[in-house]
Amino acid sequence: MMPDNWGFVFAAYGLALVVLVLYWRFLVRRERELTEGRQIAAHGTGLSTPRAGHPTA
Amino acid sequence: MRSLLGGLTLVGLAAGLVMGFGIAPREATQGNVQRIMYLHVPSVWVAYLAFAVVLVASIAYLVRRAETADRLAHASAEVGVLFTGLTIATGSIWGKPTWGTWWTWDARLTTVSILFVMYLGYLLLRGMIEDRERGARFAAVLGIVAAFNIPLVHFSVYWWRTLHQPPSLMKPGPGTMPAIIVTSLLVNFAAFTLLYIYFVTRRARVLRLEAEAEA
Repeated sequence: MMPDNWGFVFAAYGLALVVLVLYWRFLVRRERELTEGRQIAAHGTGLSTPRAGHPTA
Repeated sequence: MRSLLGGLTLVGLAAGLVMGFGIAPREATQGNVQRIMYLHVPSVWVAYLAFAVVLVASIAYLVRRAETADRLAHASAEVGVLFTGLTIATGSIWGKPTWGTWWTWDARLTTVSILFVMYLGYLLLRGMIEDRERGARFAAVLGIVAAFNIPLVHFSVYWWRTLHQPPSLMKPGPGTMPAIIVTSLLVNFAAFTLLYIYFVTRRARVLRLEAEAEA
């Protein structure tokens, strides 16, 4: 019978956990950046249009 | 909907860990190192699934030129590469105490490495071509060609003499494994399939947002 080799088991699961969490974080961050960028762009477009009654130079 | 899928995935992964570490017994021959199989085998299943989706989505793109199909192929290929990498790494970690080596140029290990490199090339190709439509077309062709490697990987253990054992689960006919080990594997298969769907959904959305930002 082989020894238990728990170190190898934890190394495999630990590596998988790190890789999967990093990929998930990448997806969440990238999506947040793009959503915020889109909102800022939409907001910026709105501000560039002079509104009725808004004082202009 | 996405939160529900994320929640289900987390529950599935937790159930998989409980099955793999709490319910499944210590394997008689390999000892506890066999528990790596509850991670390694579902990973290769997801890789097969991901690349099969790339194949179907690539054909759909070439036929209909639908950007949704292209984004699905791209997202699925990326997730497939991630899980193929995990398959190779976890297999190597299992191989050291079991076979006495981290790596050997066995037919299964070699074909799965070729699979990994081919889809890595697929992702690089997409990144290299600036014209989005042209890049999508070339990638779709490569996505179809690379899929021929999937049966080569799976059947390599039958076609050549290998150190890697033949499939225990993904094969026709009755299995020889104890029911509790099969159940633990199946729970992890389900959990990893949910994780695949979750990742691909999120990645495809990011790709759509990137395309909209560039437009």
